[in-house]
Amino acid sequence: MKFPCLGSGAWSSPTRRDFLYGLGASVGSVAFTSMMAGELAAKTTNPLVPRDGHFPARAKRCIFLMMEGGPSHIDTFDPKPKLKDLHLKKFTREGEMKSRMESGERYFVQSPFAFSRFGQSGADMAKNWEHLQNVADEICFYRGCQVDSVNHPTAQYQMNTGNRFGGDPAMGAWVTYGLGSVNQNLPGFMVLPETSFPQGGAANWGNGFLPAQYQGTTLRPKGSPILDLQPPKGITPEHQRLNLDLLGKLNAQHKQRHPQHGELAARMESYELAFRMQMEVPGVLDLGNESEAIKEAYGIGQKTTDAFGRKCLLARRLIEQDVRFVQLYHATWDSHDFIKRAHGNLVPQIDKPIAALIADLKERGLLDETLIVWCGEFGRSPDNGIRAGSVAYGRDHNPKAMTIWFAGGGVNAGHTIGATDETGAEASENVHHVRDVHVTLLKLLGLDDNKLTYFHGGRYKQLSQFGGEVIKELIG
Amino acid sequence: MRLMGLALACQALPLTSHGLQMAEAEALFAHQIWPLINDKCLACHGNEENKLKGDLDLRTRSAALEGGDSGPAFISGNPSGSLLYQAVTWEDEDLQMPPKENERLNQRQLQYLSDWIYAGAPWPSPKRIKELLRSTEDKWSVGGGVRMPTSGGLSEQWTLRKYNPDDLWAYQPIDKPKIPLGINAIDHLLGLKMDSMKVKPASRADRRTLIRRATFNLLGLPPTPAEVEMFVNDPADEDNAFRKVIERLLRNPHYGEHWGQHWLDVVRYADSSGFANDFERGNAWRYRDYVIRSFNADKPYNQFIREQIAGDELEPDNPEMLVSVGFLRMGPWELTGMEVPAIARQRFLDDVVNSVGQTFLGHTLRCAKCHDHKFDPVPTRDFYSMHAVFATTQIADRRAAFVDENLEGFEKEKGYLTARLTRAELHSAKLKKKSREATERWFREHDLPYKTRIEAHKAGIPDDQIPPKHYGYSVEDFGLERVTRKVINRSKWEFERYEPVALSVYNGADPKIDNYGMPLRMPSRPMSGLMEKTYILMGGDTFARDKQVNPGALSVLDEQIPELRRVRFPSTASKRRSALAKWISHPANSLTLRAIVNRVWQWHFNQPIAGNPNNFGGTGKKPTHPELLDWLAREFREQGWSIKNLHRQIMMSEAYRRSSTHPDPETLATRDANGIGYAVFKPRRMTSFELRDSMLAVSGELTRSIGGIPARPEMNWEQALQPRMVMGSFAPAWEANPLPAQRHRRSVYAMKLRGLRDPFMEVFNDPHPDLSCEARDASTVTPQVFSLFNSQISLDRAVAFADRLSREEAEPAAKIQRAVALAYGRPTTAEETAACLNHYQVMLDRHTAKVVPRPDYPREVEREAVEENTGEPFSFTEKLEMMQDFVPDKKYADVSPETRAMAEVCLVLFNSNEFVYIY
Repeated sequence: MKFPCLGSGAWSSPTRRDFLYGLGASVGSVAFTSMMAGELAAKTTNPLVPRDGHFPARAKRCIFLMMEGGPSHIDTFDPKPKLKDLHLKKFTREGEMKSRMESGERYFVQSPFAFSRFGQSGADMAKNWEHLQNVADEICFYRGCQVDSVNHPTAQYQMNTGNRFGGDPAMGAWVTYGLGSVNQNLPGFMVLPETSFPQGGAANWGNGFLPAQYQGTTLRPKGSPILDLQPPKGITPEHQRLNLDLLGKLNAQHKQRHPQHGELAARMESYELAFRMQMEVPGVLDLGNESEAIKEAYGIGQKTTDAFGRKCLLARRLIEQDVRFVQLYHATWDSHDFIKRAHGNLVPQIDKPIAALIADLKERGLLDETLIVWCGEFGRSPDNGIRAGSVAYGRDHNPKAMTIWFAGGGVNAGHTIGATDETGAEASENVHHVRDVHVTLLKLLGLDDNKLTYFHGGRYKQLSQFGGEVIKELIG
Repeated sequence: MRLMGLALACQALPLTSHGLQMAEAEALFAHQIWPLINDKCLACHGNEENKLKGDLDLRTRSAALEGGDSGPAFISGNPSGSLLYQAVTWEDEDLQMPPKENERLNQRQLQYLSDWIYAGAPWPSPKRIKELLRSTEDKWSVGGGVRMPTSGGLSEQWTLRKYNPDDLWAYQPIDKPKIPLGINAIDHLLGLKMDSMKVKPASRADRRTLIRRATFNLLGLPPTPAEVEMFVNDPADEDNAFRKVIERLLRNPHYGEHWGQHWLDVVRYADSSGFANDFERGNAWRYRDYVIRSFNADKPYNQFIREQIAGDELEPDNPEMLVSVGFLRMGPWELTGMEVPAIARQRFLDDVVNSVGQTFLGHTLRCAKCHDHKFDPVPTRDFYSMHAVFATTQIADRRAAFVDENLEGFEKEKGYLTARLTRAELHSAKLKKKSREATERWFREHDLPYKTRIEAHKAGIPDDQIPPKHYGYSVEDFGLERVTRKVINRSKWEFERYEPVALSVYNGADPKIDNYGMPLRMPSRPMSGLMEKTYILMGGDTFARDKQVNPGALSVLDEQIPELRRVRFPSTASKRRSALAKWISHPANSLTLRAIVNRVWQWHFNQPIAGNPNNFGGTGKKPTHPELLDWLAREFREQGWSIKNLHRQIMMSEAYRRSSTHPDPETLATRDANGIGYAVFKPRRMTSFELRDSMLAVSGELTRSIGGIPARPEMNWEQALQPRMVMGSFAPAWEANPLPAQRHRRSVYAMKLRGLRDPFMEVFNDPHPDLSCEARDASTVTPQVFSLFNSQISLDRAVAFADRLSREEAEPAAKIQRAVALAYGRPTTAEETAACLNHYQVMLDRHTAKVVPRPDYPREVEREAVEENTGEPFSFTEKLEMMQDFVPDKKYADVSPETRAMAEVCLVLFNSNEFVYIY
């Protein structure tokens, strides 16, 4: 049943280890098969018990595709023919908002990519989205979003947590806090980062001030998917079970001496829970049972698409296991120079996998209940400075304009909402701060940002920071 | 002002639901309804004229009557028929205002609104409101709370608003309750509360429990078996025997490490700057050691405050005082070329102001950055007055000679760093040569004279007539050029570590920096240039300047405590911080004193008296024992601000020495459901640091030297080698110190990078250094099991522990007894000896039959990256300099089968509840 090896990714060659071995004989063990969510809720004060949101949910789960580095809206989904006329004409910005990045001479840069309209909806897309164009009608493009920061980590933090300066809970943590997790053997919030973590690191999927149970769990693309998920080589499950049995005995005796200490049982239980996870995770990660056709569709085994294809397929598998929030990272879209080469290489890496994910979810009847979001931390500028002493056709960061798109549960598919100005420098129609995107995302998942609060540091905090509004046009 | 009487007077509402006189209704509007509309409605219904929600404008009566999309806001005389009233009752699911759950009107506010509409909804003019606020104040002081004078808000409404007296406890001068003679004040005051709750305290904990509790509490380490037995067998009476233990522990230099760590949690200590570059702060360790030294020396707390805020001003020639102000630099901060410098500067000032507030005053101030504080009497003006205190404070990495510091290991570590730098420089030179040769070839092929790019630019030759920069590079070269450049740049920060330089500040003019990409020395003429002026920034926007403000502190406290008003804040470039330090450390400053004794109490009982040590404002939890808090504060001041004396007082109380088991838990649970009575001592789980340090102590591996450059323990190697993006490149991999003794230092010394956290520490609830941590969380999560039960690092501790046992005892049973004594501090029971022995035998068979192989350690790491300018993948090899000399800890394969089998028992002990909980 081992899947023919495609690269060295951990997801291709899981070693399922049977941790059920000897379980029945242990002291204080839990038969995991009968331990369903409801029972767990009854037995413990488990903070991950699934619960209803504030509204009827349009989507039960979310797959968030995070394009780290800031993809250029101008070169992907928001064509700017005007830039053809302005190409290499001088661009000036002065005043107090000037940073060092903007010193020196700057020029407008046209997009090196050809655009067309796709689907019945006639969605604007660069032609190199060869696969995504086939599902254009499933997508709602949004061009009105603005953020506050021009730096990667602060902008990433803002997109992920609402707070530019980090330390706040990530979206996935908020959602899991609000809705709990249906699958008690897997974390409710899982993150599929690139091999190299983004700037700002794990705080992008942290629990912030929420309890630690809501932290995002990373499934690393290489090595052990979860750190120390398995003991060192050479230590068998049987060996571990023996140790666990002794641990159970010592803990049981200890509990007799401290009958009033309520945390002891929960900590004992966590050891059994860990085993259920050790058992379940390798199975979920094993892409081996997927059909060849599916693997082909996601681009697995093909050089360009293999890495992100695996992530997309794994996201679908996690969604099927009722994981609440899955975030996928793809890097790096920070194309300051040579945008033709850089973006030209990046688009094909994700185009086919994402198109396959949308089609596959639809095929399985899961698209309606799954929200898909695609975005970066900001958009890119229509202009570029002289970098490295020559006019290299690239783009700098732009917090004032970007494209975010949505697909799946509850979204206004087949529409393009909002607009940017004629050069793509700034959002001009249906303009909303990113906080409103957060509020809308929560709304689609059945949560009211104003009610999803947590008291910390002297006030009730929320994902949108200070409240926001639903962008109604994004909802179908 | 005393609030006691007022609190009693507020109980009766002055209004009934019917028949208000018009004048009364107008007063009601001025005092209650108009503030309510301002607070809860105008953000969406008035403040932004062209963004009215539902087209409803509530700024004037006529606009409200005209109404919005759904109709008029109210019908005069008919509350239940009025949309406004219906909305605020939240009865209609589609019409709920204000929309935020936690901003809903309370019963009293609903009643006011109803009364006002019923009375005809009078809406006096702004001028009349002002008159009414003053002319009817007496009456309303009774019903509507008390006014708190401050320097004044942005609006008159805010300035005149009233507070619930219960929310103002922290600003009041410190009281000293009368304590009957000959009684322990702590027990007396706790006893009063217990009596009122009708609960009885648990009996005293036995000596074994007590010494473990006290040793962890003061040192963060377990007591040795000899220490336990000495105390258990001490013939002295309970008080004297325990007093001896406390004194011994307070003299132990590990005390400063453990209590210093508490402080470092609050100030957000880290060895790197966070954000995009996460540059190392090479000299942060000197501040960390300053804190440890201060605790060990029992430095008076008021002095400790002054040194951290204004040490450089108070003793400019004392290098330690340049180190101590490192406190002001503890927040995450950077300035890259991407950011607007003025905004980054404001971030620094915001951070410092808020940090000073949280750390020393137990008061969050950031809320007042954009608007007058919603709940507390802190106007925006005060926030910017505190900004002004720091407006002349500039960051610098200043020369400061070493003082009595641990300088061990400098040369060796510098050698590794130099090797890395040299490798990068060589590669960089190679790349330059390659490009130069290609460029020369290009000129030859084009039959043109060779020119460098600078020469060509100077000569006015256009860009398309010379080859581009980095001409001749492959994708790999492009990538490596950037990587090596960044390695060279980053090493500048790291070399700082071994230099007599302090992470510090100075006073001076705006130095006009637009990029902080390299350590910054103090300029030779710090005062030349423009002095920054401070303005109220509307909405917290750097460029929305309003009135200019002068340095100052919290006006609400100045008003309550006249002594504080005498502290003068100069407007000269220097001595502003000295004034603030004086104000904060003033013996009359009630916030400061309550904040510190509350923290110390919390670090003893794992439960503070005032529930949010960083927030004494109205939204923070109220003190459970206000008299006790004040008694402690006053006593602390009278005893010379000595933290060690405070320990003695607290630890000698009965409350501290109480058992964690209660004879009647059911009654206790009903009568003290929230567990605030101190009838039992609450057990706690070890912190991440205590857990690691205890494993090292018990296994005999702990290196006990104090202070010095950060240690680099092993962390999970997958995490250690995890590529980590920093601006434009990768940060260097985490490398462990080559020798076990270097790695096995206490966790307080482990290098703390904001962007790369030790997963063991992280899963055991180590706080993130970006936020001030008022209390470490101790929740149980599954990945803790992976770290403690599965990891190679845990296994290494278990092997070392078993190895120690084999050196100290011969027989398996004796080894097990020794192991339990070391890990739990008590003799074994027959049952557990039997269980452990049995396990040992079973495991011995397994380990005799088979040897678990040694793991491999990395000496270099392959990096794969996508070149950001080309989008093409490239790879390179990062050589791990320290790992070339790495000496691994002992593994299974290095010890006998007997020791291997015993290591299994040890691993289980480390994972057991008895080991990780402290009673």
